[in-house]
Amino acid sequence: MTTLDHEEPDQVPITEMAIDVIHLEKLAGTRLSAETSPQTQVTSDRRAEAGMVATTVLAYQKLGFELIPVELSAPDGWSPQKSADGTMTDEWGRVLSYDAKCRSWISTGSIHTAPEDFERFPFPDPYAPGRMFAIEETKRRIGDEMVLGGWVKDPFAIAWEMFKVTDFVRWLYEKPNFIRQVIEHITDFNIAVIKQIVDAKADLILSSGDYAEKKGPLVPVKFFKDVIFPNLRRQVETAHRAGLRLIKHTDGNLNPIMDDLADIVDGLQSLDPTASMDIGDVKRRYGDRLVLIGNVSVDNLCTGTKEEIIQETKECLRNAAPGGGYILSSSNSWYTDAKLDNCLAMVDTGRKYGCYPIKIPD
Amino acid sequence: MSLLEDIERTFAEVSGVDQMKSYVQAALTEGTSPLQILQSMRQGLSTAGKKYEQGEYFLSELIMSGIMAQKLSVMLKPHLRTDGGQFLARIAIGTVKGDLHDIGKNLVSTMLSSAGFEIRDLGVDVLPEKFVEVVEKEQPRIIAMSCLLTVAMDAMKNVMNRLIESGLRRGVRVLVGGRPITPDFVERIGADGYGADAIEAVTAARNVLTK
Repeated sequence: MTTLDHEEPDQVPITEMAIDVIHLEKLAGTRLSAETSPQTQVTSDRRAEAGMVATTVLAYQKLGFELIPVELSAPDGWSPQKSADGTMTDEWGRVLSYDAKCRSWISTGSIHTAPEDFERFPFPDPYAPGRMFAIEETKRRIGDEMVLGGWVKDPFAIAWEMFKVTDFVRWLYEKPNFIRQVIEHITDFNIAVIKQIVDAKADLILSSGDYAEKKGPLVPVKFFKDVIFPNLRRQVETAHRAGLRLIKHTDGNLNPIMDDLADIVDGLQSLDPTASMDIGDVKRRYGDRLVLIGNVSVDNLCTGTKEEIIQETKECLRNAAPGGGYILSSSNSWYTDAKLDNCLAMVDTGRKYGCYPIKIPD
Repeated sequence: MSLLEDIERTFAEVSGVDQMKSYVQAALTEGTSPLQILQSMRQGLSTAGKKYEQGEYFLSELIMSGIMAQKLSVMLKPHLRTDGGQFLARIAIGTVKGDLHDIGKNLVSTMLSSAGFEIRDLGVDVLPEKFVEVVEKEQPRIIAMSCLLTVAMDAMKNVMNRLIESGLRRGVRVLVGGRPITPDFVERIGADGYGADAIEAVTAARNVLTK
């Protein structure tokens, strides 16, 4: 928490926003039965979910991580609609396909083919019992051992995934008020959820969902200013009123929208170096306002050598750690195809060189 | 301003489907050649593409221009047969085995189609042997492989190896693309070209045709 106050703790904290199933199992020495998705809730099987929580906590404890992010749970008794073609539909109308390699469900389509479909669709109830299951179960296991971050998904990101991307874009152009209303409605959902995350004794709010790709923001900057950021600010203010900070995860080149983001959120995660996010530059310009989490390239964790990861991690520490306000992590999460040895080398390097005051030899 | 200039402008400014349709319908009614309409579209797309490269337009504009181009192609299809329109080349495109993502692949397909290529879309999670089968049976000039996941990059290498083993490599040009693809990877697997985004993919496709 000292880091979140932009002060230097004893050591640079380390975490990951997510670790894929294959690595969690290796780290914890268990086999998971829970169905998972990096984008949404796919089960309310509490026994399996409790197993997932236990494995995740154990893995994070073994890694010595200081922060553990936890997703919302699906409501009690909810189950996805399964189709004959093997896909299933989540609470938001996203159609999911199973990725056997990653052992998770990913969004590949939508049941909404027109705005009228969404208007008739039963909108998820933020107060449905059970949404805090994983957060409460994690808190029960860790107590105050780690900082617990509760995830909400950004309303723009939900809308972008909930509709087919081509439909979202077309409606953005032809029915902008509809898209605005959808984002506002989802923001209302998130605000209700944030209050419950606070009551569940989380220490931090994390917002998932990408705003940008390698080249830049996904949509025009004007749309960010007019719609996305006011609704982000509503969520941040809800968190702040409860005494919690909100950290925004987003991939991509954020440079065109950094000034606004720095004015709204308390931190950023990813800071993808392959998307023109220079962590040294971000630290210089926004380090007094933004907690920075990232910046070891996920691509390098997959394809690089251990020595390259060690050097890259040292650079991240050198550029971002002095003065506090930095948490070491990858630029996204530990994917299935990341080399676990590389990931562990990142952690070991963080432990070796992350003591304050930071002194890293060339 | 002539209707052809209006059509070019709607694509350059990404003005939307309805406006584009009204200009194109008016142009067709006037008897304007569909090939000239296509050319105006391509010039407008080229302008939009440059703006995207320069950071003035964003992914949503690129996607919207792709939507507009698809709608235009549908409008012109009945007219192009009688006008004897020719494709530059056939491209078989797919997201490789192990990857279910298709947004990038679909955007590239649309841009390539708009640029005059005939597209054979193989879908997602495409087996390496499927790429080889298509090359053997349908003889596209180019195959284009896409992936978002690093774990799927091995599948691209697999396709290259199979093309060599089956003696088909020389007869086809290979493009690759996707978030984790780098020029170094392209060279390592022996592909012919790559595009960092949908705009570059069109340039890469044109370039490999001259090889």
